Amino acid sequence: MATKRVPVVEGLFSEGADGARLTGSRCATCKTPYFPRSDLCHNPDCTQSAMEDARFGPQGTLWSCAVQNYPPPPPARYDEPYRPYALGVVDLADGLRVVGRMAVDDPKHVKVGARVELVLEPLCREEDGTELITWMFRPV
Amino acid sequence: MRDVAVLGVGMHRFGKFPDKSVTELCRDAVVAALADAGVQWREIEAVAAASSRFSGGKGWGLNGNDVVEDMGSTGIPVYNMSAGCAAGGNAFNIGYALVAGGIYDVVLVVGGEKMPKGFIQTSGVEEETDPEFLRQRCVGMPGPAFWALLCRQRMEEFGTTEEQLAKVAVKAHQVAVHNEYARFRKEFTLEEVLGSALVSDPLRLYEICPVSDGAAAAVICSAEKARQLASRPVWVAGSAVATARFDDGLPRGLAGMVPPGKSYHSEAALAVSKALEQAGAAPEDLDFVELQDNTVYYELAFPEDWGLCKPGEAEHLLERGETLPTGKLPINPSGGFLSFGEATTAMGVFQVCELTWQLRGEAGARQVPGAKLGLGQTLGLGGNGTAVVLKR
Repeated sequence: MATKRVPVVEGLFSEGADGARLTGSRCATCKTPYFPRSDLCHNPDCTQSAMEDARFGPQGTLWSCAVQNYPPPPPARYDEPYRPYALGVVDLADGLRVVGRMAVDDPKHVKVGARVELVLEPLCREEDGTELITWMFRPV
Repeated sequence: MRDVAVLGVGMHRFGKFPDKSVTELCRDAVVAALADAGVQWREIEAVAAASSRFSGGKGWGLNGNDVVEDMGSTGIPVYNMSAGCAAGGNAFNIGYALVAGGIYDVVLVVGGEKMPKGFIQTSGVEEETDPEFLRQRCVGMPGPAFWALLCRQRMEEFGTTEEQLAKVAVKAHQVAVHNEYARFRKEFTLEEVLGSALVSDPLRLYEICPVSDGAAAAVICSAEKARQLASRPVWVAGSAVATARFDDGLPRGLAGMVPPGKSYHSEAALAVSKALEQAGAAPEDLDFVELQDNTVYYELAFPEDWGLCKPGEAEHLLERGETLPTGKLPINPSGGFLSFGEATTAMGVFQVCELTWQLRGEAGARQVPGAKLGLGQTLGLGGNGTAVVLKR
């Protein structure tokens, strides 16, 4: 039986034939991107909030990275035994600066400035084996 | 606006005090501040208090009410200010505004905190509409990891070395040895700092401030009162509060736009520039700075953000000893958050205490020689920033 995959939080991302995308909004007036979705443009210089659904990714550049060496406090989720993971801040080509985990085997092997792509990967597994999926970034 | 003076300050030593309540910590600080000011509790006309998230306050952040009940309920108004880790700075700003605006003549500003063990859980809210919840649940990025990301970015941009990061911590403890209120009064060698655990690579344990229990208080008053009561008042040259700008490049929440320029922690930069403007001072006029060093990164990044030095120059100033109390740009002569630990909502008032002692020339072996103008700065969750400029 195939492993059941469930988003860790609903409505934040999707996977289509063209790959993984973050689900957000963009203001048609001032072009400001939002993730997660927003019903209102928060740009104080925008003359008319006009929010449209938008999908972001998959290409981006790593602005910075770090390694989370100790188990994070709740409400973070992880599998036992805890394994350090890499974190990244990524500037997506479509103008969004977004945080996420890095989908790499060795968290030390991540370099600032690297080209990365958005992927959907398991954050952790529930007791029944269900995988909780979140967005991550993988060096290209 | 009327001139405002800091009449007296007091502090409870920082550390871990499992047998004391936050109100007891505040009591010590308030009693010391009243004695230093030479005023009786009865003379306090209003209290501006930092709301604690972690302790006391009847669970509603009513910490100022706890203080008033403890000291004696005289019926005075209480303003409980909530601004994350900037709450103490925020409370000072409100106290200042109330005196400057002519509403009250003598106001007590107080902040105290007893922190839970371990790293701060940034969001207590379990709601999928809360950006902090989403950031922790979907990604897992506690405070130190956030600081580590900023730090790594700086290392890439300016070539900051791990040794330079460690030297900030070495310097902090070197001065804190001379501060009786500091939690850690022990020197650390470069090797000891570099040998401490990598918490969030590139940041090590001794390069991140721990959480502490502590309290601080200040009695502020109008110029008229100060002339009656004080032999050597310290004056509030500027007090400002700001929030983050929309085009700030800091990765708060899950995402923002890729910023048009380099602007991180705009709330801090805005508050500092407003306070300096009120003081009629330029950044280079400052004799010393007490800034919020949750991690060594900030002691390198903030001075250049605020125009105290050129971008990338902070590392060189540090290496040359210029950020020591005796240097050209003394930073955190108190020992800073690294030596005190963060009693989150007390910190803005803690800085007012150190600024006052420095400006009076009472800081002993950590004294900034001839200090006339000092800056204090805090920031907190929600994009809150505060700054205060005191002068003698």
